[in-house]
Amino acid sequence: MTSENKVVGQAAPPAHLAVRGIHKRFGGVHALRGVDFEVARGEVMALVGDNGAGKSTLMKVLAGAHLADDGAFFLDGKPAEVTSPNDASELGIQIVYQDLALCENLDVSANLSLGSEPVKPGWSFLPRLLRPLDDLEMEVKAKKAIDRLEVRTLQSVRAKVGGLSGGQRQAIAIARAVGAESTVVMLDEPTAALGVAQTRQVLEVVKRLRETNHAVVYISHNMRDIFEVSDRITVLRHGTNVATYTTSETNPDEIVVAMTRGLDTENGNAA
Amino acid sequence: MQPDAKLTFLDRFSALRETQFGTFVPVLLALAAIWGYFGLVLPFIDLISGQADSFRAIFLSPRNIYNLFMQSAVIATLAVGITIVLLLGDIDLSAAATAGVCAALLGVLVLSGVPGWPACIIVIFVGIIMGAAQGLLVAYVGIPSFVVTLAGLLGYQGLMQKILPTGNLNVGDPFVRGIARVLIPDLWGIVLGLAVVGLFAYANLRKQARRKALGLELDSALALWGQVIAFTVIVVAVVLTLNAYRSLPLLLVLLVAITALLGWITTSTPYGRSLFAVGGNAESARRVGMKVKRIRVSAFAIVGLMAAIGGIFGASRYGSVSYTAFAGGSLLLEAIGAAVIGGTSLFGGRGSVWNAILGALVIGSLGNGLDLTGASAADKLMVSGAILLLAVAIDALSRPSNGSGR
Ligand SMILES: Nc1ncnc2c1ncn2[C@@H]1O[C@H](COP(=O)(O)OP(=O)(O)OP(=O)(O)O)[C@@H](O)[C@H]1O
Ligand SMILES: [Mg+2]
Repeated sequence: MTSENKVVGQAAPPAHLAVRGIHKRFGGVHALRGVDFEVARGEVMALVGDNGAGKSTLMKVLAGAHLADDGAFFLDGKPAEVTSPNDASELGIQIVYQDLALCENLDVSANLSLGSEPVKPGWSFLPRLLRPLDDLEMEVKAKKAIDRLEVRTLQSVRAKVGGLSGGQRQAIAIARAVGAESTVVMLDEPTAALGVAQTRQVLEVVKRLRETNHAVVYISHNMRDIFEVSDRITVLRHGTNVATYTTSETNPDEIVVAMTRGLDTENGNAA
Repeated sequence: MQPDAKLTFLDRFSALRETQFGTFVPVLLALAAIWGYFGLVLPFIDLISGQADSFRAIFLSPRNIYNLFMQSAVIATLAVGITIVLLLGDIDLSAAATAGVCAALLGVLVLSGVPGWPACIIVIFVGIIMGAAQGLLVAYVGIPSFVVTLAGLLGYQGLMQKILPTGNLNVGDPFVRGIARVLIPDLWGIVLGLAVVGLFAYANLRKQARRKALGLELDSALALWGQVIAFTVIVVAVVLTLNAYRSLPLLLVLLVAITALLGWITTSTPYGRSLFAVGGNAESARRVGMKVKRIRVSAFAIVGLMAAIGGIFGASRYGSVSYTAFAGGSLLLEAIGAAVIGGTSLFGGRGSVWNAILGALVIGSLGNGLDLTGASAADKLMVSGAILLLAVAIDALSRPSNGSGR
């Protein structure tokens, strides 16, 4: 089985984040078997594959939530070390999970600064955990983040997340990832539970991320969405690479075949 | 924003409860209903049926209000602590037993000649360790808090009996007794009350001014002033009523000060925010780098701290330590009931320590009022049960995930 990265069509843009030969085992399950993956800035890289192909696992490895058993990380060509979520976020890698992991009991601004709440200056005699929160600063930051993504349906950053729609929540989860000085934003099935209008809203947000020169990884099962937002498509199957395609030079049928049957080695190449 | 005409009563109710002051509304209504019933309706019925002299407006007399506050103080202290673990979605069944152990230890220490204040400090440390030990089991061994603290309840009950083989001990130490006996002079009580009111108003107005300066959305003037005025009325009424009988007792001032400190920590610090985050979505808190396990342990340590303080308050007020007053009696259920009646969610992530104080007043008022009317212990238990059930039903109905999926 080869794990070499096949790029079909024109030369790929220089990778911002790249991994080579990633292996991940869960007990007896060999979920990732030497996967290569890369994404450049200002591009949306779709990651597709059948259920259980290892998409979410790969993403969690990239975000430091799972420790790879083997493999190498490169950031702008330089070897990097990602062993914890903190490592990943220091490198600017942020993930929006399939379950959004928002706190429904807190408001939008609190969710956006969760874990890195601003505190008022001048209380340095107290441990940081007990200094007074600067909740107005939090709201200002939240408003900026929401405005940048142009989420127009959101009325107030003081609304509790529990009362928001799925699309609004998705946008907030994305805003949280973007707000943290990130360069890589990874989205796991962001539109899986959304209706047409809300899917549209999220796709607009994803396109905006590309405009702001983020490297975006986009996992989805929906071919239409993928062909609308992505620049390249990486196909995984049974924990290995099938191929990487340039979106403008392929079509949904070809991707579906690659996802379900892989590339027939006898027939040579997918192009 | 205009309220949508199609909103159901329940929608409005949950919306109301989402606002900052709105969380107090249900428990304040409950309190008003109970006080109205015992203080106004019952005396009126007695009056028209010609038995006026047996039961006049005793309930709302300054003397009874004073007693009511003092009776509710120990329940309130424990309820404030229990609220902290409820915020995480955990529960502590051992709080009253911890308070009992601490009170018993305090009694034994002062009896053996340790001066009052070092004895109190030792006891507070013991309480913190007792709470933190359970927290370690919950957070690091992964046993559900219900089970750990149930075991703690049994174990600490036994421990209290070991410390107090006779089941009873008088506490005569002047420092310990002083906590409940010392009264703030009338004038100083008023000055203190006005200072607190001034501080509250100043903080609110300053925040509004900063909102304006930063171009953030403003609180409505009605909400802002309503809040300040309601707070002022409550504080002034309480101080004047207590002054009308005796004076502001030191114990209540301490209780309010501790609650204010915990209230500030839970709502206005990153630590407090992490309590709410863990209670709302522990996985989310973990992913943003919060130390969920340490937060759990610290929350149980705070319950231990409050239980120890409750033990000290109890010993001070009764002048004795007895098994039935703490570990073996109804204190635990009353304290948990107070926290829940106050509006703190059993599902975690929602609540406040101030609500626990109001909840304790509800429980205390019920007991006090039923006592005055000569109701039996059986009646008291059944009415308390009904109120608790009502409070939990309100909690379940006003959960955000329940029916408001717009
Ligand atoms: N925490 C885990 N423990 C054990 N096995 C796991 C774990 N996470 C994933 N796996 C296994 O790894 C394999 C890949 O799973 P993964 O979630 O990455 O698939 P996926 O491509 O995201 O699928 P889907 O499209 O259904 O989300 C599956 O066989 C799954 O059972
Ligand atoms: Mg997945």
